[in-house]
Amino acid sequence: MSPLLTVALGTALLGALAGALGPFAVLRKQSLMGDVLSHAALPGICIGFLVAQERSLPALLAGALIAGLIAAGLIQLILRFTRIKPDAAMGIILSTFFALGVVLLSHIQHSGGAAQAGLSSFLFGQAAAMLASDVTLLSALAALVLLILATFWKDLKLVAFDRDYARALGRPVAAMESLLAAVTAIAIVAGLQVVGVVLMVALLIAPAVAARQWVEGLLPMVLLSALLGAGAGVSGALLSSTARGLATGPVIVLVAAGLVLLSILFAPRRGLVWRRA
Amino acid sequence: MTAFFANPDAMILLTGLLVALAAALPGCFLVLRGSSLMTDAISHAIVFGIALTWLATGYISGPIQIAGAAAAGLLTVLLIEALTRTRRLNNDAAMGLVFPTLFAAGVLIINLYARDIHLDTDTVLLGEIAFVWLDTTRIAGMDIPNAVISLTVFAALNLGFILLFWKPLKLAVFDPDFAALQGLRPGLVLGGLFALTSATAVAAFDAVGAILFVAFVIVPPATAYLLTQSLAVMVTLAALIGMGSALAGQQAALALDVSIGGMMALMTGAFFALALVAAPGKGVIATLLRRRNDRLAFACRTLVTHLHSHAAGPRVDEENAITALESHLRWPRRQIRNVVLRALDDGLVRREGAMLVLTEMGAALGRETVASVAPLIPPRPQDQPQPAPPAA
Amino acid sequence: MTTPDAPLHEPHLALHVEDLTVGYGGAPVLLDADIDIPPGVMAAIVGPNGSGKSTFLKSCLGLVRPAAGHIRFFGQPLAQARARVGYVPQRSTVDWDFPTTVIDVVTMGLYGRLGLFRRPGRAEREKALKALADLGMLDYADRQIGQLSGGQQQRVFIARALVQEADLYFLDEPMAGVDATTEAAIIAILQRLRDAGKTVVVVHHDLSTVKRWFDWLIMLNRRVVAQGPVATTYTRDNLRAAYGGQLAVLDPADHGLGP
Repeated sequence: MSPLLTVALGTALLGALAGALGPFAVLRKQSLMGDVLSHAALPGICIGFLVAQERSLPALLAGALIAGLIAAGLIQLILRFTRIKPDAAMGIILSTFFALGVVLLSHIQHSGGAAQAGLSSFLFGQAAAMLASDVTLLSALAALVLLILATFWKDLKLVAFDRDYARALGRPVAAMESLLAAVTAIAIVAGLQVVGVVLMVALLIAPAVAARQWVEGLLPMVLLSALLGAGAGVSGALLSSTARGLATGPVIVLVAAGLVLLSILFAPRRGLVWRRA
Repeated sequence: MTAFFANPDAMILLTGLLVALAAALPGCFLVLRGSSLMTDAISHAIVFGIALTWLATGYISGPIQIAGAAAAGLLTVLLIEALTRTRRLNNDAAMGLVFPTLFAAGVLIINLYARDIHLDTDTVLLGEIAFVWLDTTRIAGMDIPNAVISLTVFAALNLGFILLFWKPLKLAVFDPDFAALQGLRPGLVLGGLFALTSATAVAAFDAVGAILFVAFVIVPPATAYLLTQSLAVMVTLAALIGMGSALAGQQAALALDVSIGGMMALMTGAFFALALVAAPGKGVIATLLRRRNDRLAFACRTLVTHLHSHAAGPRVDEENAITALESHLRWPRRQIRNVVLRALDDGLVRREGAMLVLTEMGAALGRETVASVAPLIPPRPQDQPQPAPPAA
Repeated sequence: MTTPDAPLHEPHLALHVEDLTVGYGGAPVLLDADIDIPPGVMAAIVGPNGSGKSTFLKSCLGLVRPAAGHIRFFGQPLAQARARVGYVPQRSTVDWDFPTTVIDVVTMGLYGRLGLFRRPGRAEREKALKALADLGMLDYADRQIGQLSGGQQQRVFIARALVQEADLYFLDEPMAGVDATTEAAIIAILQRLRDAGKTVVVVHHDLSTVKRWFDWLIMLNRRVVAQGPVATTYTRDNLRAAYGGQLAVLDPADHGLGP
């Protein structure tokens, strides 16, 4: 598989993953939690690297997921036991975990070694670093997420729409919310290598917001969002490869932001331009 | 003195202390106001301001950059608000879109045009405090690092601002409606706070970068919040804790050979964790103990009220009582025993042989609890509420 | 007053609540409430703001954990009786900009019967359409919920509960902020349910319609002030006890009481 195809395929998968889960985060008003998970992933990635002693994507992703889990748990702890508000709790965990990541990153860089060069690409994303084996892993993750969404679709939809009613109905709300959190974390963590920790949140939100302007119905929204995410991912990756030393993340985010702007202005019925006229 | 300013380690420490001080002061109000994440967003977005200002004017630092940063900060706030007002998306989604977009634009400009100068993406994120002592200006015969100069200015500015506008700030945070009524313009005051914070972020940029700066703005104030109820004490503590983090961070970083700025920011988290667990009154341990005590006390009230209202008389056979409580209140047997023991300890009930007797104090507590849960609107004197009729 | 050995589960009652206490951090929101509702009535729960009405509802549905007490539906705990209990929450609990259609929302009421893995099919669609028709919303089946008026939203929520084919329905302030036509439609549906032998329990905010619409009444003000048939429970004295001095401002005639 040519490097270009690898990159295109890989970023399409990531973009689609983030796009598919974004609607749930946006509709449940939990967009910024995605930001926390992304920043918190950095120390996890570093620890994964230290454990595996090489840039092994499964190890890095596992580290990122575990770090995300701990971060979420700590936020819950802060909320349950203190009067600190949710936004402050998120801000504290976000900046502290990121600082830890910076410290670990500098430690790895000071120890030298060629393998560590790829790590700082997680800050802003570097699609060019993607390997064929990464694409295989990502395909497996995408299939898993697809399976989960398809199987539990109706309850995921209900929990996103009316959580209390779901509880009154006796649905397994806590389990569904944990499931959503888990697959969202997977999508975020998988996308980090291409978009970077700082910008990932935009790839989670933008396709969903854009898609919302065009369709009615959760399934169309998720599908369109996945498509737009994939599109932003691929075009960003290909564009950034045209100039030397351009990080992929910023380009993807600007493409995605452009999609949002277009959608908010011009979408039929919801578009602002039509409303003014 | 000249030697002091020429000493790299001393300058690094001084810079860190100044960042911590300058950041903690506005940070207290921003955190209390619920603007922690907005601060994070602004800190990212000023990168756009820096890149654009540099592109337009060629300056990397100095007052022009600072103005550009303040503008970028305000732009962020305005954009987020404007997007939210379109009602096409939510406020948190707007935040998560605007700041990464501005940040991405800034990074892109740097990537494309600023390759050869001392403005690269890693510095943007993380700063490089180890090199601050290289850029100096000659003042009074000494070479003082620029970062130290600008941060001292901002530390003084921020201190001056919050002292001057203490009352409006305090009201804007705790009671914005009242502040507006008083003509204290809470919106303006908070806007000023955001602008100052953005400008401080630029001053701190070289040292700790955009993102680590946020840690200094948010975390020490949150730590101080756990330790005191007084705003003035909170501000003072936040500054001290921030500066302590800078000191501890530098020492640890030198010992472990890691990023100094990162370690300083990490130390703010360490202090927070300490306060989280151990703070008297608001920390986790204290809260756990207090909640357990509250639950037991509440359970005693419930028990006493129940005995008071339902018992055939004040004397109840203890064993029957416990069985009855189990089926009425649905408490597990063990919990009932705990509560009965606590009630005995508190003198609310006493044992007479095999019987549980409601004491005077217990009966009084029962009456008081019932009365305290009385109508929210006090009845007129001539309409004293009748006792609740027996259940159907 | 019940003695320890009286039968506690009262299967002939639609709702049996005993010693319900709900409190947060030491302050009771609801204290020692004993409430019994016989089947086949249309019951109103009234009381001033903060009197624990919504808390009572939420405790019954398992959304809030009580500090003490127990609740039985037709003699069974909620876990066993869930299929027989329907719920219509306040409209404000939901973001109406959610991308979904009216019939989609109504179908959600059937999820309880479908279990975790089955999808709603044609049979479910038929049931949802029927419920919509009962509420006069059949033409709106494929409409986006964001395009609905307040009254229409309320009808959709009620249709969602109707498809549950429950025996006991809880509604939280269903008449708040709806137009007169919707109000009439809702009351008609609820009365039809009651006439068919179902039990309807409504947290109600408008005293002036209590006597007209309801036949059972529970007055709450953090404790049970009074309960029973409307005719005997809706009295001046009970109203005063529940609403205190506020009643001096209101004309008793507004509340259906004579001079």
